[in-house]
Amino acid sequence: MEGPILHVERLTKNFGGLAALSQVTLEIQRGEVVGIIGPNGAGKTTLFNLISGFLRPDSGNIVFRGESIAHKKPQEIVARGIARTFQIPRPFHNLKVVENVAVPLIVTKRRKGSGVSKLEIAHALLERVGLGGKKFMKAGDLSEGDLKRLELAKALATEPELVLLDEPFSGLSSTEIEGLVPLIRELSEQGTTVLIVEHKLRELMKLVRRVVVLNFGQKIADGRPEEIAADKVVIEAYLGAGGAALVLS
Amino acid sequence: MRRVPKEVLAFVIICGVMAPVPLVVESHYVINLIILCNIYAVFLASWDLLTGYTGQISFGHALFIGGGAYTAGLLNFYLKFPPLVTIPSGALIAAILGLALGIPSLRLRGPYLALATFSASAIPSVLVSTLWKYTGGEDGLYGIAPISFNVVNRYYLSLALMGVCCGIMSALARSSYGLVLQAIREDETAAMASGVDTRAYKLKTFVLSGFFAGLAGAFYCHNQMHVGTEELSLSLSILVVLMSVVGGIGTIIGPMFGGYLLILLNEGLRFIEDFRLVIYSGAVVIILLFLPRGLLPSVLELMRRTRGLVIKSPSPKVEAVRDSASGVDEPEAQRGLSCEPK
Amino acid sequence: MNVALEILVYGAVQSGVYAMLALGFSLIFGVAGVVNLAHTAFYMAGAYLIYTCVSLLGMGLPAALVCSVIVVGLCGLAVQRFAIRPLIESEYSVMMITVAIAFLVQEAVTVIFGPADRNVKGFIDQKLEVFGVVDIDSQRMLTLGVATVLIVALWFFINKTKQGKAVLAVAQDREGALFVGIDPWKIYLRVMFISAVLAGIAGAFIAPTLGARPHMWEHPLVKCFAIVILGGLGSIEGTILAAIILGFCEVVVSFLISSYLGELVALIMILGVLMVKPAGLMGRGAVR
Repeated sequence: MEGPILHVERLTKNFGGLAALSQVTLEIQRGEVVGIIGPNGAGKTTLFNLISGFLRPDSGNIVFRGESIAHKKPQEIVARGIARTFQIPRPFHNLKVVENVAVPLIVTKRRKGSGVSKLEIAHALLERVGLGGKKFMKAGDLSEGDLKRLELAKALATEPELVLLDEPFSGLSSTEIEGLVPLIRELSEQGTTVLIVEHKLRELMKLVRRVVVLNFGQKIADGRPEEIAADKVVIEAYLGAGGAALVLS
Repeated sequence: MRRVPKEVLAFVIICGVMAPVPLVVESHYVINLIILCNIYAVFLASWDLLTGYTGQISFGHALFIGGGAYTAGLLNFYLKFPPLVTIPSGALIAAILGLALGIPSLRLRGPYLALATFSASAIPSVLVSTLWKYTGGEDGLYGIAPISFNVVNRYYLSLALMGVCCGIMSALARSSYGLVLQAIREDETAAMASGVDTRAYKLKTFVLSGFFAGLAGAFYCHNQMHVGTEELSLSLSILVVLMSVVGGIGTIIGPMFGGYLLILLNEGLRFIEDFRLVIYSGAVVIILLFLPRGLLPSVLELMRRTRGLVIKSPSPKVEAVRDSASGVDEPEAQRGLSCEPK
Repeated sequence: MNVALEILVYGAVQSGVYAMLALGFSLIFGVAGVVNLAHTAFYMAGAYLIYTCVSLLGMGLPAALVCSVIVVGLCGLAVQRFAIRPLIESEYSVMMITVAIAFLVQEAVTVIFGPADRNVKGFIDQKLEVFGVVDIDSQRMLTLGVATVLIVALWFFINKTKQGKAVLAVAQDREGALFVGIDPWKIYLRVMFISAVLAGIAGAFIAPTLGARPHMWEHPLVKCFAIVILGGLGSIEGTILAAIILGFCEVVVSFLISSYLGELVALIMILGVLMVKPAGLMGRGAVR
């Protein structure tokens, strides 16, 4: 397929008087793994909410695989091949782990005629994310790290072409993060496009070859991790002008 | 579905067990009581589908029950349509009412939804009062045609009503459709993120819930040969809620059980006469405080625990799985996946 | 002209009662997040208590009022402490248990007093002429007077006293209030007491006009709902304003069209607001 898989064009979203996202333009190529970073309140989650259909933009466009999805509902966007996780996991607490994964499997039309029963797919997905032994636990009883894995499994259930991971490492210990990294890497190796919002920059850099920086709702940088790390504007965004001067001297 | 679901089997068995009752019990009074239980079972099951499974808290179920009852009653009283026509008509009108209630409810949550449903059954109530010349006002309409003059026939008809309606609802609840409903109840946003068209599912459930409640309501009207404002009353809505809570919400069978228990207990306590409902609501308060999951799940849990003590565990690994599971066997978890989505 | 004045006076009375009733309901939600479906059961209790004290026990009015208020207040405290507090984590459980309590009160009252209407003797048996033209009984005017006094008193309490400000604090930020040493549970009890008392007084004063019936708690709950979604759960000014709007609209429709349709006003209001703005006109906010 030619052209970028995702094209965000001059996307703008205001809340009251506050510009959460302002004229953000972005092109993501198929198969890329891109990190989205920026200080708190920069608009990263807003970007994800807009792409996944939970918010409507005030102006601008979002084009996925050549189709404008800016005003579509979340379930329509999922049906077209975009999946997302939530910063704070949102499991179906009183349902079992395997039932949690079953729900997106039941409603999706993207896995037709594979000959494999949905039950088997659910089991396979859970094995893949490392929850094989906990399939029949109540989702609400899982640990933080396992909840993140479940989020991932649910997102993968619809066989998405683009996955939006919202702070997949937050609240996890370094061991837990180490467990999650290979899973994400595997995703990109299979050709899935991945966008990751993260604050844990060290871990993020292990996964991405491109970083987009947002601040106050605007895109202030877009390039390779090494370039970004040395970019004056980016450092200023995080440390302020004084801090930046200190670091760069 | 290739194999017959457990639920259909269960209901066939239950109906089979209840079938010989008129042969054994002589008292028409008792048989009439069980007929009432059967009808209420459908009210309760339809409520649980909407509230217990989908999380749409409804304090206005009387809207559907009364809607079905009045449709049947008016059609029969003025146009002399037979029950065979009026009862499905009642169900259809109630289904439409389900849609009418469902659409504005889509955007409401928690207290707003509860209060809106609370108010919902008030509208037809006021209309019935205003148009008392036609509806009989508070007293209602008498002389509605019975389904059958023979109490035994009515018993079997009510059994069929309960078996078929509750069987269908139970099968639905346990299928993949029911699983999606539960997901909506647990976290609607997450359900949307999983690709669920939550609006469509909620509306479908409102319509289904209304349909069955209206069907039973119409049946009730012909059974009593009377329709009145009690069928639209808030008290009825609340009674449905209380019975379901006692039995155990979110299980279909739980609320049904609550209904049978409370109606029969009600009569059993006849000697206390008027205090019954006081004791009964007091019992509900106590259950809510100490047995929040309701009677049926708590009883089943108790049975499971004592069974675990008596039977030796096969191996540590299996024990671990059972411990971490919320007490339900593995095959049950597969139910949601073995059927094709609706 | 006469009709307009009639509407003015009767509308004011209606609004006063509704305001008294809805304020408690709105407050307990704004402050504690509790949807107390037993709220109008307190209103009903007030009516039956005053009936018991005055007509059955032959107490004098002041004593009867004090008695009723204390009993209703205590009931409110009991409900808050023993029924609501254990379940406060789940909004839905609180609704379930308060509805069960309301039902319990309804049935208890049916057992004790029977299902028929009970007539309560008026406090003052006099017809008044307001503005020289409007015929109205003094019971209604007394109700209006009491309502006005209580609402103003409540406003002062919330905004001007230390305890009242503590209530505001808890409504706005529970953790913050804890931080400065305010115990939210005490505040909830306090608000529930006020809430129940207001409802009970409304019931006591309306009883001579409407009588006491076991189902008298049902429609007023719908009215309370209409008022709070119009005025915003938790907003004092909003609730008062909405109560005035509902009270006057009902009286206008009742006088000019039909009293049956007067009942529909609240329902249409609910439908209307929910269609347009499900969060209510003023939204859910802290107590303001």
